[in-house]
Amino acid sequence: MAILTAPAGKASPRGVRTSPAVRKLAALTLVAAVLVPLAAARWASGTWPEALTVDVSGPLGGASDWIIDNRDSHPLFLHFLGHVSNAVVLSVRAVYLALLAVGWAGVTGVAALIAWRAAGVRLALGTALAFLACGLLGMWVPTMQTLALMVVAVAASVLVGVLLGLAAGLSDRMDRVLRPVLDTMQVLPAFAYLLPVVLVFGIGVPAAVLATVVYAAPPMARLTALGLRGADKEVLEAVESLGTTARQRLLTARIPLARKELLLGLNQTIMMALSMAVIASVIGAGGLGDRVYQALASVDVGAALAAGIPIVLLAVVLDRVTGAAGARLGQAPVPHARALWAGALAAAAAVAVAGRLTDRLEWPDGWVVGIAEPVNRAVDWMTDHLYSGVPVVGGTADWAGRFTTWVLDPLRDGLQWLPWWSVLLAVAALAWVIGTWRTALTAVSAMAAIGVLGVWNASLDTLSQVLAAVAVTLVIGFATGVAAARSDRVERLLRPVLDVFQTMPQFVYLIPVVALFGVGRAPAVAAAIVYALPAVVRITAQGLRQVDPAALEAARSLGATSGQQLRQVQLPLARRALLLAVNQGVVLVLAVVIIGGLVGGGALGYDVVLGLAQGDLATGLVAGAAIVCLGLTLDRVTQPTGRRTRKGA
Amino acid sequence: MRFRTMPAVAAGSAFALLTLTGCGAADMTRQASPFANAQGARTVTLSVQSWVGAQANVAVAQYLLEHELGYRVDTVQVDEVPAWDALSQGRVDAILEDWGHPEQEQRYVEEKKTITPGGDLGVTGHIGWYVPTYFAEQHPDVTDWKNLNKYADRFRTPESGGKGQLMDGSPSYVTNDKALVKNLKLDYRVVFAGSEAAQITQIKQFAKEKKPFLTYWYTPQWLFEQVPMTEVKLPAYEEGCDADPAEVACAYPVTPLQKYLNADFARNGGEAAELLRNFRWTTEDQNEVSLLIADRKLSPRQAAEKWVDSHASVWKEWLP
Amino acid sequence: MTTTGTPATDTPVFAVHGLWKVFGPKAGRVPGDPRLADLDPAALRARTGCTAAVRDVSFDVRKGEVFVVMGLSGSGKSTLVRCLTRLIEPTAGTIAIDGEDVRAMDRARLRTLRRHRAAMVFQHFGLLPHRTVLDNVAYGLEIQGMGRGERREKAAEVVAKVGLEGMEQRRPAQLSGGQRQRVGLARALAVDPEVLLFDEPFSALDPLIRRDMQEEVIRLHREEGRTMVFITHDLQEALKLGDRIALMRDGRVVQLGTPEEIVGSPADDYVRAFVRDVPREQVLTVRTAMRPPLSSEEAATGPGVSPDATVSEAIEAVSRAGTSARVLDRGKCVGVVDAGALLDVVAGASATTADARADRAVPAPRREPAPPTATTSEEPV
Repeated sequence: MAILTAPAGKASPRGVRTSPAVRKLAALTLVAAVLVPLAAARWASGTWPEALTVDVSGPLGGASDWIIDNRDSHPLFLHFLGHVSNAVVLSVRAVYLALLAVGWAGVTGVAALIAWRAAGVRLALGTALAFLACGLLGMWVPTMQTLALMVVAVAASVLVGVLLGLAAGLSDRMDRVLRPVLDTMQVLPAFAYLLPVVLVFGIGVPAAVLATVVYAAPPMARLTALGLRGADKEVLEAVESLGTTARQRLLTARIPLARKELLLGLNQTIMMALSMAVIASVIGAGGLGDRVYQALASVDVGAALAAGIPIVLLAVVLDRVTGAAGARLGQAPVPHARALWAGALAAAAAVAVAGRLTDRLEWPDGWVVGIAEPVNRAVDWMTDHLYSGVPVVGGTADWAGRFTTWVLDPLRDGLQWLPWWSVLLAVAALAWVIGTWRTALTAVSAMAAIGVLGVWNASLDTLSQVLAAVAVTLVIGFATGVAAARSDRVERLLRPVLDVFQTMPQFVYLIPVVALFGVGRAPAVAAAIVYALPAVVRITAQGLRQVDPAALEAARSLGATSGQQLRQVQLPLARRALLLAVNQGVVLVLAVVIIGGLVGGGALGYDVVLGLAQGDLATGLVAGAAIVCLGLTLDRVTQPTGRRTRKGA
Repeated sequence: MRFRTMPAVAAGSAFALLTLTGCGAADMTRQASPFANAQGARTVTLSVQSWVGAQANVAVAQYLLEHELGYRVDTVQVDEVPAWDALSQGRVDAILEDWGHPEQEQRYVEEKKTITPGGDLGVTGHIGWYVPTYFAEQHPDVTDWKNLNKYADRFRTPESGGKGQLMDGSPSYVTNDKALVKNLKLDYRVVFAGSEAAQITQIKQFAKEKKPFLTYWYTPQWLFEQVPMTEVKLPAYEEGCDADPAEVACAYPVTPLQKYLNADFARNGGEAAELLRNFRWTTEDQNEVSLLIADRKLSPRQAAEKWVDSHASVWKEWLP
Repeated sequence: MTTTGTPATDTPVFAVHGLWKVFGPKAGRVPGDPRLADLDPAALRARTGCTAAVRDVSFDVRKGEVFVVMGLSGSGKSTLVRCLTRLIEPTAGTIAIDGEDVRAMDRARLRTLRRHRAAMVFQHFGLLPHRTVLDNVAYGLEIQGMGRGERREKAAEVVAKVGLEGMEQRRPAQLSGGQRQRVGLARALAVDPEVLLFDEPFSALDPLIRRDMQEEVIRLHREEGRTMVFITHDLQEALKLGDRIALMRDGRVVQLGTPEEIVGSPADDYVRAFVRDVPREQVLTVRTAMRPPLSSEEAATGPGVSPDATVSEAIEAVSRAGTSARVLDRGKCVGVVDAGALLDVVAGASATTADARADRAVPAPRREPAPPTATTSEEPV
């Protein structure tokens, strides 16, 4: 009986599922049959035809020069942007001076106490240890600089994000306008944000803060809107039935009801702000990121690590504390909360005053542990012994070389060899089959824009790195995800690792890969893989675990082996999660492949670095625009239809 | 009704911003780094470029400013061209080693007068193409650019594809290499290592295996001590032959390296400005510090200390 | 569609006339256009894309009564109750509260109505999860601008009244469903409203807790005599609580009357089908079954029952005594019930009910004389 029905049951849904895809492909083939011969006849070349490019570097260069010439005289700068910049400088400075005035003991104490009140004793202890570690590594002042920058950037991001989120949460029209913009901003690599702000503000802290705000505000806005929209309708109705004014409703119900999302937004904003504040060292943010950047520039892995560890510690602490604060919501309030806060504050003040009185504001030089030297010795040893010529397995540099020769090169050359219209067609087909004609149109337009901008080849180079990295990421990620979904032990082992890896800023991943693989495209790809893996593993494992247990039970009752359960029940039912994993993998990989420009990844990321380094903002901006387009294309091509469907109003 | 608060909030925040910053004009080009002059210390902000020679300059200057004059020194890593912008805006007080940026000089020194020259560094710089000496000894004719195509396949790497590899370092350095390769019709591809350090790693790796390579390099540079390299002769430099970046087909010039100071700092910087103006040392001095930093892996501060301890006669003259 | 005995003195608390609520594009044209107004729901949707949730509904809610609106899901009852305080804006018709036109109120006036005159209890409680029980109960007062101390004091009283003492500092998440609804009830009571509106308040609760809560409502009504509008889909609940019941179907009121009338003389087949399984002897009163005494001897002997006693109580009395029973109103014999007539009621013969109704002068408030057994009589005795 079961044998008889099984094939029928399997065949019919698949038939239903593929038929729209087949129809879409047929329609696309029809369009292509008309357009391709035309295009190919007119602009016959493998690469993007010259005739279809628009040179924007001239006007962009002109704009850049104009801005530099008028920055100290034009009213727009004097009366608006100048104030913005000034406000940023003043507030960062105020926070920085405050942090220095409190002293290292005070800062550590206050941070630990906040962590204690928000997240419990264990995290308080962890926070204190993390701050002390920053001091021990000799990074106290850079840590404070980064912290000052972060405080201002996060405050501004939250303000902007909440305002935008309120607008989108309360007004359907604003929501329709803002949502696609915010969704798109979410998938763009951090690097793309740097150049426009540099163009306007020049290199320095204001530019860094503003880039951070632009990068970190969207999650706050999205989650605020989500929280406001997701509020329990009946609670709102109940509140309205009691005769609240719109203002009372917002302040006493809608915002408090959204507090879980607000805190999650704060958490995400902080994490993204940290990530960006570190990357923004490329445009003069200073602080820890600058130390990493300087160390990377001299391939001083030890020094990079000394600055990288505080970044990771800061990231983990901030993530855990805000996360724990979110998890604590809705629990019973601790009695005497206010008294405890007061006590905590008094204790912190006492520590700060004690620090002041004993004149121990600055981290004592004697307490610095230099890790750079031993680390560098280890790295040297690695370079000498593991780099190349290791018997049988070969050295890491050999792997990198082989990966470059056998994977990256053929992929790049293949992509660049493909006729330009066939690339567009492939993009259209993929995006349409997975999504809707809308996503297909966006994807194709974005891809075509790359050609028009005249960076077709560089973009395909970047694309080849992304594809190679994504392929490796997915193979490893799905395998690990399946393992984690099937075994609780594996999941328990993986979870802390994933937690830490997911909170680390992108920049930090560059350090170990340079040590292992030297420079070039292979290390950039390796960094991207490591960065994207945790998300892919996690989404895969969650997707598989969330598969309806009833369906699994049914399969088991029919005597399916565990392999059959996986293939025939879990994987098909977790299809959406797997697609999401692909989408996330692509987005994350792109972000790091771009940053890989700093370690020899070349292509678009390199153009951005070059633009920044040479002050040739035109080149950088064109590359930045191409990155945006590539990000859009890749996101739309991998985006399952459902993500954008929303409930009817 | 419910949205009436929104414009109010927007207006409120705009107002707060204005009151915070004070009404009227705000010139963003005259805003110092927020991290400068913390805790009332007199602070000098120096621009550090990514190459080690420049780090040596800054390390010694920083050491002297801190220990002899009692300043607090912040260093900021900015690439060469943006450093000019930062110097003009006062976010950086001085650049100690500039390899010649005529366009920026014209704009900031001549026109806007926000930057003033700080005099010679005392070091003469030269950029060129180099092959390792062990290779040049086996194939003496490689040192002429006309024979480079003959050796193109010897210089092939995975990154350069079917062509020979001409290795460049940081994208921020002054380079005409792409134009040179094109204009001299060389069968090479310029591969950027991404940073000088990355380039050095590569060079050392090649040297260890005694492989041939062709690289963009410059003097003074401490690496010559470890990996002896021989310059490849390019068509001789003539005044103005590099005027059009796209049409360059000649060698790089020999450049006396320059110091530049922010104009305000030069006027009001007191002893610090004077010390930086007087700062002038030789190629050997710089290389000595560079080698300590890059090869012995001393921190720049330790390297500077070591040099200062043994060369009192040199730096005593710089003090105001 | 009004019942026989409208109290002459009081204006109704709510007077609803010709009320419509139509959802969909250009909803406003539907009520006024007889060709559209008479369409059945499917045809209306096909023709205009609109759904009429409430269609031409009229009723009065009298002071002090429990007015139940009953219907299956989708019958429009929840929409109807929301129209009363304009949580949903009606499409057409009039609503008056104490004679004042609700639809003409401006925002401020409407807020005053919601704050002081009508408070609502919701199916899923609608509590604010971030506030304690006490602060949830005090919320309505806070909205009115009452000071912290005063409103907490007042809220504490109400919390005690609904039996939640000692839980003031808990959060809603720490309470059981029944306790949460007590908080919802307390919140509504705290503002001391003229009318309490209940929107299926107990349908999310377990049956046992539901019965407790029903008792609670009956107790509150007995103690305070507050007017209540009660929405439910549960016929038992409607019969148990309602002084009068409006039975809704597809947005229309198909019958409005006392529980006895609904069970005893269903207006149409729909209502008949609806009440078919109701144990009639527990709903209908002896009035339905009584006849004039045949003799003075009959009028003087036999057990006495109240006119408002249920048939099932009368059966008990009759079977215990073995004779017919007298129906005594204030000591005077107004009729006699015998075993045969009572059995007819149980069997569903409704011939006598029409006469019986005619005899009724005033619909007496059912609750006050009701013996304790009446409320637990759903259990088989």
